[in-house]
Amino acid sequence: MDFKKLLSEKEFVLLDGAMGTLIQKSGAEYKSVPETLNITHPELIESFHRAYVEAGTDIVYANTFGANAYKLKESGYSVEEIIGSAVKIAKKACEGTDAYVALDIGPIGQLLEPAGAMTFDEAYEYFKQEILAGKGADVIVFETMTDLYELKAAVLAAKENCDKPIIATMTFERNGRTFTGVLPSAAAVTLTGLGVDAIGVNCSLGPDELEPVISEMSKYTDLPLVIKANAGLPDPNSNEYDILPDRFAQCVCDLLKYGVKIIGGCCGTTPEYIEMIKKSIADKKYTPQQKSVDTTVCSSSTVVEINCPRIIGERINPTGKKLFKQALVDNNIDYILTQALSQVDGGAEILDVNVGHPEIDEKKMMVSVLKAIQSVCDAPLQIDSTKPDVLEAGLRYYNGKPIVNSVNGEEKSLSSVLPLVKKYGASVVGLTLDENGIPKSADGRFEIAKRIVERAEALGIDRRDVYIDCLTLTVSAEQDACRETLGALHRVKTELGCKTCLGVSNISFGLPNRELVTRTFLTMALEEGLDLPIINPNVDSITGAVMAYRVLAGIDKNSSAFIEKYNDVKSEAPKMSGGKDVDIFTAVYSGLKTEGAEAVRKLLKTVDAMEIVNTMLIPALDKVGDDFEKNKIFLPQLIQSANAAQECFEVIKEHISKTSGSPVSKGKIILATVKGDIHDIGKNIVKVLLDNYGYTVVDLGRDVDPQLIVDTAVEQNIKMIGLSALMTTTLKSMEDTIKLIRERKELQNPDGTSKCVVFVGGAVLTKDYAMKIGADYYCKDAKESVDTAKLVFGG
Amino acid sequence: MITLDRLNRNEAVRYLGGAGISLNYRMDRLMDECEAEILKNARPKYLYSEIDLPNGEFMRGKDIVEHLDGCDRAIIMCATLGAEIDKLIRINQISDMAKAVVLDSFAGVAIEQVCNKVDVMIAEKYKGKYMTFRFSPGYGDYPIELQKLFITKLDAPRKIGLTTNDNSILMPSKSVTAIAGLSDNPIDRKKRGCAVCNMRDRCKFRRNGAHCGF
Repeated sequence: MDFKKLLSEKEFVLLDGAMGTLIQKSGAEYKSVPETLNITHPELIESFHRAYVEAGTDIVYANTFGANAYKLKESGYSVEEIIGSAVKIAKKACEGTDAYVALDIGPIGQLLEPAGAMTFDEAYEYFKQEILAGKGADVIVFETMTDLYELKAAVLAAKENCDKPIIATMTFERNGRTFTGVLPSAAAVTLTGLGVDAIGVNCSLGPDELEPVISEMSKYTDLPLVIKANAGLPDPNSNEYDILPDRFAQCVCDLLKYGVKIIGGCCGTTPEYIEMIKKSIADKKYTPQQKSVDTTVCSSSTVVEINCPRIIGERINPTGKKLFKQALVDNNIDYILTQALSQVDGGAEILDVNVGHPEIDEKKMMVSVLKAIQSVCDAPLQIDSTKPDVLEAGLRYYNGKPIVNSVNGEEKSLSSVLPLVKKYGASVVGLTLDENGIPKSADGRFEIAKRIVERAEALGIDRRDVYIDCLTLTVSAEQDACRETLGALHRVKTELGCKTCLGVSNISFGLPNRELVTRTFLTMALEEGLDLPIINPNVDSITGAVMAYRVLAGIDKNSSAFIEKYNDVKSEAPKMSGGKDVDIFTAVYSGLKTEGAEAVRKLLKTVDAMEIVNTMLIPALDKVGDDFEKNKIFLPQLIQSANAAQECFEVIKEHISKTSGSPVSKGKIILATVKGDIHDIGKNIVKVLLDNYGYTVVDLGRDVDPQLIVDTAVEQNIKMIGLSALMTTTLKSMEDTIKLIRERKELQNPDGTSKCVVFVGGAVLTKDYAMKIGADYYCKDAKESVDTAKLVFGG
Repeated sequence: MITLDRLNRNEAVRYLGGAGISLNYRMDRLMDECEAEILKNARPKYLYSEIDLPNGEFMRGKDIVEHLDGCDRAIIMCATLGAEIDKLIRINQISDMAKAVVLDSFAGVAIEQVCNKVDVMIAEKYKGKYMTFRFSPGYGDYPIELQKLFITKLDAPRKIGLTTNDNSILMPSKSVTAIAGLSDNPIDRKKRGCAVCNMRDRCKFRRNGAHCGF
């Protein structure tokens, strides 16, 4: 089907109305899902299609909305049977007319990670199966989507398995977001980037209420927009919808000014509605919208327009950071997440993510870190790697429109990175260097920038999505280099019309009072047109320079952002202790982190570190544990105390590593929530406590494959494994995991007994059951887990 | 539409195993903060619909048959606080675990309050009828695997964004499905309590001599 031709020939393209409403009205009965009617009542479905075609529909949606393997499981039919017959029926109904048939694909029906358990790849496979089964259709429609991530899996499945045009519509609530929090703007930006043919809204609300959503979308895309609204709201008693055909058509016409080109109806609409729309738009002209925003990047819930200097946080990067490297080696994702959250707190609007380290699988790590960050943090991300395969993995599993960091003027880089940027609809940082290194002069760098932009445009990448980095050199080594960098930046900005980015901290390397030099350079660069400074947002003066610049350049209107950030800078939260010095015992017992750390720091000058641990920290924790057991304090207090102790331990660890080298660990323990289970708060509480009692926890997360647990135990020679399950349905998987642990030769003593101690916990477990499935210990709460660890490791 | 304007703090403390503990100033503040955040982020949504009894699909196991004894119709319902709550708790598990557990307990309180409000609405609609209490998959011998049936029958994924998976876990996680019987005659209300609860032998409330309120 030539979709572009259809769009150019027709002023407006008409879709059909509801299928479900007609089925309901007909009173036809079906088992499990309405798509089974394709097999049991083909003539009925055909008559519905025909009615729509007669009403003026150009593209009918085959009756395949829920025909995925998950929803069809209990239907007794295969995806191929249901979709095959659906397309055949729709084709038959269109015979002798100009109407086309769309393969209609709705959500799988399970929530995707991170909120749910279905993985991106699983969703992809479900969609792929539907797309392959729907070969006979002319166009692919994804509709009623509420999760942009699921929709991305769907779009990739379509793009990679057929060459049909794609229409993608999502469903929004009255608050302007989908159930999973997706913004219309983020949907528009991401889907336009992924190269679909039309986007829009379906279902949700009546057309009268969709104006905010459709007008928002129209600012962020130049694609033709689709609207397929409900006939208002159903009456709870009669199930009749409250917007009648004439008003429906009128409301739709009111939305045409936003660039709406493709129109149909959703729940509650019938052929009458389509006929009425056809009449109403007969004398109307399609008016393409003007995409009015600048280049943007986004997650599914936050869109950042690069229309003024935006801060990119640089701290998720192991270069020169011992702790970060260690976290990567230990697969300690929580550490990285803490970095992400603190940078956003500091003022970062975009986060750079670099996890390159020789000792780990960078590609795998990039994917898990991106997913993990996106589960807790809304800021758009910049995928940073020198390896194209890592970039591609990152691009594939990212939810939204990211930045790729980076491409450069080398042929190898241009030809491997830019096609990825195009395919996944990202923005890209272009470094002004090539085979010959970094040109000394501004002009040399400008030439490379020009080349990068030309190559990007040749692939169809908008030049506004290319962010040129003119490279900061160390001023103490080459004093003139600063001027060249700024000169190149100025030319790129004014002559190429590109956005610019720059890592600034390098400038001050080797000089005293680096912060001052860096901040001054940053200010100069901003004045030359720097859009994306890559900085440490947790250094107040550097972030402050950007904030102040926005005020002085008239960007921060009424200085409101600046005032909000700095107004109460002096009235820092008072110390919980009321400013008094407290001893370590009190600090830990009362859960006072800062005070505890301070007390330890002071004491370390005169007292041995291990003595502090053994005579103060541990007794304090024991007292807390004791009180918890006696019901004198409750769980949040136990955790707060543990956190305060953690803070104290950090100070001690730091001290020990400075004075004698390796920090002490009392033993290494694997924690995992078993396969199939995603309730992990209990496991995480146990982790916090074990951490704070000085054990090293290897946290494998939730929904963990038994094989991974066993392999990790073997690889890292681990003696103790903790498993949690919250559901009766996942206890089986706990049992399977224990069985696998017991079977593995490397985890057995020569006499066949197990080297690994397994402790288990979770709401539905009992001691008896734990023993029955082969666990060594049952722990009723986090405190008991610590007691068990003490028992196992001694002390 | 359901809005919550405050949450039962005593319940939240009880969920945390803190019944009988007097809260210090700091804990009080944390409770305030968490209550406010749950109220701000919760997007309560619900669905219900009527089914005729007996109904082979929904009546599985002996407990539900007993529960619906004397009822000629039943209401199947579901409710959720929405995905934002899960995210909020997830974020706090990274930055402040103590707060995360308090949020988690308030979220539990919140979904319970939402269900109670739905009960009131249903009772209003069926004035003059007698209604049993809510019975959920997982109670007694009522199979947890029925989650998918509830979700599908109520069209919950599309209408309120509530889904389940192959392990019958509801997502968003602060969600409930339940069935309640309707009858023209008074229903014996004594049945509810520990006796019919499948958590009876491992209940942390019972262990400490308390009661969950079920």
